[in-house]
Amino acid sequence: MTRQLAPQPPAKTNRSPGQSGKVPRRRWTARSRRDFFVFLAMALPNLVLIAVFTYRPLFSNVYYSTLDWTLGSPTATVVGLGNYVTFFSSNDAPKVLGTTAVFTVVTVGGSMLLGLLVALALNAKVRGTTFARSAVFAPYVLSGVGVGLVWLFIFDPGYGVLAWLLRGIGHQSPQWINDPQLSLVMVILVYVWKNLGYCAVVYLAGLQSLPQEVMEAASLDGANGFRRFTSISLPLLSPTTFFLLITTLLSSLQAFDLIRIMTPLGTGTSTLIYEAYLQAFGAYNRAGYSAAISVVLFAILLVITVLQLRFVERKVHYS
Amino acid sequence: MTLHLDRRHFLGLAGVTASAAALAACGGPSTTGGGQATSQAADIDFNGVKPAAKIDFWSSHPGQSQDVEKSLIEKFQAKNPGISVNLVTAGANYEEIAQKFQTAQAAKSGLPAVVVLSDVWWFRYYTNGSIIPVDSLTKQLDMKMDDFQQSLINDYEYDGKQWAVPYGRSTPLFYYNKDHFAAAGLPDRAPKTWDEFGQWAPKLKAASGAQYAYIYPALAGYAGWTLQNMLWGWGGGWSKEWDIICDSTESVAALQWAQDSIYKDKWAGVSSKEAADDFSAGLTSATIASTGSLLGILKSAKFNVGVGFLPGGPKAATNVCPTGGAGLGIPSGISKEEQLAAGMFLDFVTQPESTAEFSAATGYMPTRKSADMKAVLAKTPQIQTAVDQLAVTKVQDNARVFLPGADQEMAKAAAKILTQQGDVKSTMTELKATLEGIYTKDVKPKLKA
Repeated sequence: MTRQLAPQPPAKTNRSPGQSGKVPRRRWTARSRRDFFVFLAMALPNLVLIAVFTYRPLFSNVYYSTLDWTLGSPTATVVGLGNYVTFFSSNDAPKVLGTTAVFTVVTVGGSMLLGLLVALALNAKVRGTTFARSAVFAPYVLSGVGVGLVWLFIFDPGYGVLAWLLRGIGHQSPQWINDPQLSLVMVILVYVWKNLGYCAVVYLAGLQSLPQEVMEAASLDGANGFRRFTSISLPLLSPTTFFLLITTLLSSLQAFDLIRIMTPLGTGTSTLIYEAYLQAFGAYNRAGYSAAISVVLFAILLVITVLQLRFVERKVHYS
Repeated sequence: MTLHLDRRHFLGLAGVTASAAALAACGGPSTTGGGQATSQAADIDFNGVKPAAKIDFWSSHPGQSQDVEKSLIEKFQAKNPGISVNLVTAGANYEEIAQKFQTAQAAKSGLPAVVVLSDVWWFRYYTNGSIIPVDSLTKQLDMKMDDFQQSLINDYEYDGKQWAVPYGRSTPLFYYNKDHFAAAGLPDRAPKTWDEFGQWAPKLKAASGAQYAYIYPALAGYAGWTLQNMLWGWGGGWSKEWDIICDSTESVAALQWAQDSIYKDKWAGVSSKEAADDFSAGLTSATIASTGSLLGILKSAKFNVGVGFLPGGPKAATNVCPTGGAGLGIPSGISKEEQLAAGMFLDFVTQPESTAEFSAATGYMPTRKSADMKAVLAKTPQIQTAVDQLAVTKVQDNARVFLPGADQEMAKAAAKILTQQGDVKSTMTELKATLEGIYTKDVKPKLKA
């Protein structure tokens, strides 16, 4: 059945299941026309904004990905899928995709797991939880640039706080910034630290909305704390987990500020989004190639979101 | 009138409109001309053109030069009351300012009249057609081009035209901690060769208590720039003209020596952020940093600072110092009026008095031969070493300054060798292939025959 835009009163089509005739068209009354214009007045500004600031760059980016274009140059050559072929056949692709996968899996897993543990601790009825909750959440609202700069000072192998502490016990600091593997570890640690507060607060809200009578019943039946957590709390928290999985996954795949500040060359930390940045705005100025990498990232985000909505959501238990 | 617009139709219409808008917005570069544009070498006629009343000057304030830039602008405006110069902080370093400039080029709006451009960026601006030759301006404004330090002005010459003028120009300088050298019983001078420093280094490390005898400049900085010194000393280089020679026996030997100083002899390290800061903090007894870092080091170091020429190597003891730093250029995408006002500003800030003032405030080299440096040298005698070293500088390898992204690739290769103990020969072979690929694709088609 066709859903009408703004019909008043509700339509009656009088169409029987076997009937193949056209749906009768309804005349627009003065009221329905007025309602439609109200709808347009309210929706159009947003639609225009979305079209200009979301879809226009999206389509432009897809178009640019088919060009061999040096950023800043007024001319370019159409290369079709050439930039995609170059990316996937280069040594860059496995490196960049691997780094993206490691960064995403560890940061999403780490933030959610630690966030859940912190939420369980904050859910305990002890003194000081309000302060602890604020303290845990605070890094999430801080600027990524500021956080990156402060942590760089902590990690600096020359005169950082960590190096100073390690020297105190007779050890040299690892080369956090110059070693690509350690750079990735460093950025992941800081990212998880910054974002676990978000997961903790969302999980805490989920924990506090769990039905207490079910917990009490389980306790009376002899279920211990661990059993209550694994068999009741965790399944009931699945909508929260699902929500966090989507939001943290998307934000992790788009993480930029910490990587930019802590490892400007992207050595060892070049995820898809950072590689796209480096290729266009770093030293190379390959705007078309960068656009192709951005489209690859967009496709990955789209696939993940669709998969999550189609399959993961089915496993979610809504109370 | 009857309207038949259900939600599906409406969304379809909206989709078509959005798609049309999106496609219409696919402006970007022109794909009809084929190939890439290069700057037009034709002289621009400024006869009868009136200078613009207001221009923007984009700077990254090299060598913490914001205050002296403001002072120069005030003096320029006092001399030219009809022109107002707006100083814009367009980035914290050469790469950030280049990023902003390239983005403005792509957006075709918001371009400045004068832009700071580094040694590795101006040629790209030329190949993109983003800057104009300044010859007709220098002629019209009667700028004394032969008064510029020749090695510095020649850096911006291509295709018989002058594409920029030198501004914050530097060379690397050898900085050493005089107190550490004295404690180790070493002479109060920079080493003549790296081998000599290799003999000094264990004594230095033992006597000074510093973490390193020498620290290599941060790889995220300009590793490709400073490492040229070692490569040339050993008889190698990044490239010879357009032939990439970074995998030659000599180049590999130089970088092997550098790797050994870290992993085998264990007296050297690699800076994580800024070697000049590491040196000022006493983390190392010596380093190589830009002359633009000189005043900053002298201000922050709590010890006696010595400076000297860069050490030579087994094959070349002298002429192993690259020039570097930034110049000033004028964009092509602005009006003639703005270009003329920009030319007048260029003329003013490169006057002997202006370059002496800039040099005194930053440590960068005076770009004019006739600059009176007596007062500056009386206050900061170390600048004389930088000026003297200018006579033994060498033009940088093409691979570093003309290949887009080459500096970044060199830094990555250096990181592999100096921080992950990667095999030098295979790393350099890989780098050679990358650099040749960049040359063939991005540069060769744009070179003048």
